Amino acid sequence: MATQTKASAQRDNPKWEMVVDLDRCTGCQACVIACQAENNIPINEESAFHEHRAIQWIRIERYWEGEFPDVKARFLPLLCQQCDNAPCEPVCPVFATYHNNEGLNVQVYNRCVGTRYCGNNCPYHARLFNYWEPVWPEDLRNQLNPDVTVRTRGVMEKCTFCIQRIRRATRGGEPVEDGTLQPACAQACPTSALVFGNSNDPDAKVSRLKTDERHFRVMEHLGTDPSVTYLKQVDVDG
Amino acid sequence: MNSRLIKIAVPVVGASVLLVVAFVGWFVLSAWWSNPPPVLGFGEGPEQPIAFPHTVHVSDAGLDCQFCHRTVSTDEAATIPAVAQCLFCHGFDKIDGRLSTSGTAQEELAKLIADLGEPQEPINWNRVYRLPDHVQFVHAPHIQQGISCSTCHGEIGTMQVVKQVRNLKMRDCVDCHRDNGAPTDCSICHY
Repeated sequence: MATQTKASAQRDNPKWEMVVDLDRCTGCQACVIACQAENNIPINEESAFHEHRAIQWIRIERYWEGEFPDVKARFLPLLCQQCDNAPCEPVCPVFATYHNNEGLNVQVYNRCVGTRYCGNNCPYHARLFNYWEPVWPEDLRNQLNPDVTVRTRGVMEKCTFCIQRIRRATRGGEPVEDGTLQPACAQACPTSALVFGNSNDPDAKVSRLKTDERHFRVMEHLGTDPSVTYLKQVDVDG
Repeated sequence: MNSRLIKIAVPVVGASVLLVVAFVGWFVLSAWWSNPPPVLGFGEGPEQPIAFPHTVHVSDAGLDCQFCHRTVSTDEAATIPAVAQCLFCHGFDKIDGRLSTSGTAQEELAKLIADLGEPQEPINWNRVYRLPDHVQFVHAPHIQQGISCSTCHGEIGTMQVVKQVRNLKMRDCVDCHRDNGAPTDCSICHY
């Protein structure tokens, strides 16, 4: 009976969440590159960064703690927080973004008309707008992921928690075993700082870690109720 | 004389313009709601590099769809078999079209063999069914739920040239999903 309840909780009502252990993150940006490759993200040239129009579904926020010479580099991988109370959703005039029953904040590209209200209302700057038609060099044509739509100019996009992988894993209807389903960023992370899983499964690693004593959520005071939890040891000396 | 000509010409030209506009309007609207109407060759399937007859393979030989479209129950795409797979049957002079009554079978099979030359190239089949890029259609769950191929593709076994029989607009998909209790969450297909 217990296993059946667990199985049905996993299968029928998964809630996808992520835990980011900042004490493990070295800021190597492997997640950024992995995401770029997995999700057909257009190539950002330097000018795009200068204009703050670069598209990165996950990015490393680097900041410094302390004064030179006692300075410490801190890294914070920031991706769409898949907020349960998402500020981006109510402002979309065409319902191109909504919350689905797996706790995912979904962006429907073909509905999006590009008002950018959602991006402006996102406190995490996790939503990115396609200001240009994406182009890839000829020899990279065949590396595009066929499971992911190539977004056109004029639509918003953001981290999907690699929904194409979730769809593939849940397709058979069997419960997803914890740890077998990973988004590209978590898979690429050399220090396993990113942990992904179904938080409705009490035995999942993500469920245990999110209640770790080091946990906090970014800008929680805004009431967005994010699905991404961060872990950080408070550095009393720092 | 001149005014008489005008008197005839104006209504004739007007009527023809009206007819053309009505035809274009009717065509565009029907294509918008469903498949384009079967005029000007729109009801036909595209011509293929090798005139592959599904009639012979499905109706006469009685092959199951999955005998050739092998990944349909496990993967996104049903996939068109590789040339080598055609030769499972057509190799070794076993089935070389000699028994065919239409007379073109041997010519078409010669084209198939020619594709095995160097460089080996897959046959450049023309696509019959095309969905927009923002739709992620996966064959596997549909087959696993017992939806038959003909639900969407029609009676392929009776088609000499395969053509699209169902419009597969979003309404078509969603109606079927509703009727069968399948999920209608946007992110099932759009991601």
